[in-house]
Amino acid sequence: MKMLRILTLCMVVGTAGYGQALDLKHLDKLSEKASETADVTLDGSLLKLAAKFLSADDPDEAKVKKVVAQLKGIYVKSFEFEKEGAYAESDIASIRKQLQSPGWSRIVSVVSKKDGENAEIYLRTGSPEGGVAILCAGAKALTVVNIVGKIDLEELSDLGGKMGVPELEIEKPGEKPKPPKKDD
Amino acid sequence: MSHLEDELKTALRRMEPPAGFAERVLERAKTPALPEPAWWESLAVLLRPPRLQWVALSVVMSLMIPAAGVYRRERQERVEGERAKQQLMIAVRVAGNKLHRVQQKVLEMGRMDTRI
Amino acid sequence: MSVAGGTAIRIEEDPEPAAQGEIPAFADIVRGHQAMVFGLAYHFLHDRGLAEELAQEVFLELFRQFDRIESPAHLVFWLRKVASRRCIDQIRRRSFWPKLRLDEVPEPAMKTDGRDPMLSRALARLVASLPEKPRMVVILRYQEDLAPAEIAQVLDMPVATVKSHLQRSLDMLRDKLARTVGEIAI
Repeated sequence: MKMLRILTLCMVVGTAGYGQALDLKHLDKLSEKASETADVTLDGSLLKLAAKFLSADDPDEAKVKKVVAQLKGIYVKSFEFEKEGAYAESDIASIRKQLQSPGWSRIVSVVSKKDGENAEIYLRTGSPEGGVAILCAGAKALTVVNIVGKIDLEELSDLGGKMGVPELEIEKPGEKPKPPKKDD
Repeated sequence: MSHLEDELKTALRRMEPPAGFAERVLERAKTPALPEPAWWESLAVLLRPPRLQWVALSVVMSLMIPAAGVYRRERQERVEGERAKQQLMIAVRVAGNKLHRVQQKVLEMGRMDTRI
Repeated sequence: MSVAGGTAIRIEEDPEPAAQGEIPAFADIVRGHQAMVFGLAYHFLHDRGLAEELAQEVFLELFRQFDRIESPAHLVFWLRKVASRRCIDQIRRRSFWPKLRLDEVPEPAMKTDGRDPMLSRALARLVASLPEKPRMVVILRYQEDLAPAEIAQVLDMPVATVKSHLQRSLDMLRDKLARTVGEIAI
């Protein structure tokens, strides 16, 4: 099973879906080259409909329902490729350009030579509506997430940690802590 | 021990959790955890072509439902709602996973620094 | 065999994780140590819901690693170590992202044996406002009555650092408390 690496990119363009959403249309062409693609566009009435069908009885769905309660839109473009070089630097550059406009602040940038995946997270600070952009670029994967509306990043991150991805071990294997000796 | 330390011992004494705590722990301990699919496995299952086209198309198509009676409309809404819900779960899982991974990387780097 | 607190328990050594027949023994362990683990979590996180969730996860982790526990003393040490580490990780996760909710959770009534409950609550809140490592040092010192060397082993920290955290925290608490509720006798 291939490991999907997701690169999420958020661009605010004001044409697609909601006014504050990034323009990600230019990424659609990448689905032709991709071995796996995720394409989610949920806003307006469709987002409300989706949230309505989340079950309060299912623990995961209940948490998602809480997290998305104040969202206006959520957009995901995610691609996995067989070979490197399937997307162009210009694809990312045009998204970053949108995120460099006033109203967006980059809060995290992780450059990882270890797994070759770079990640950037932006917050929409110039609008009372709020929003998040996540951009992850790897050699064989690209993911963009654009969230319009207010969302608790801590809760969303917790969901990401619990929904299918195991938490890190607290104690390393083989570690045997010894009981202490009182010294007073 | 000083007066402040006495007060700290009082303020920070051990506390019983809410009633039934042990029972809740045992309940969880008895239930074997189902192996969680990796988020990308769930994503891959949903997005295998031609299903991808079906899912993507269904979102567009769902906006063009002909009006045809309350029952049919409700049924249609149920179908669309479930599809939209699936998409929402995927989107949240993808976004959450990415945030979590970034957070873990940064925290790991922080731990490495403090060990030096 | 006994553990801190005087509760008699029986630990069964088994290569497999605690099986069905051992659950009653494990239940005793949970009941015997829940106040310690929950107390650590609550005083650190100052959030009842989060504290219970964290405490549950500590015991579930214990359930999975039961066979690695060597003695009652080791059990207590293990619980303190894992609870402390999870508390600190929890705070780091919470403080990682901007825009934090400030949950106003009504504080549970605390038994204070005739002492000033307001002072206790004020102190507990002040402790919860300390930076994460000094906070855990203070909690382990005054909830668990651990010596600095013991705290150092639980938190995997030099003894000198523990003592420094303790002294600075006490100075800070004394100062803040004086401004909040007036001078108290040292």
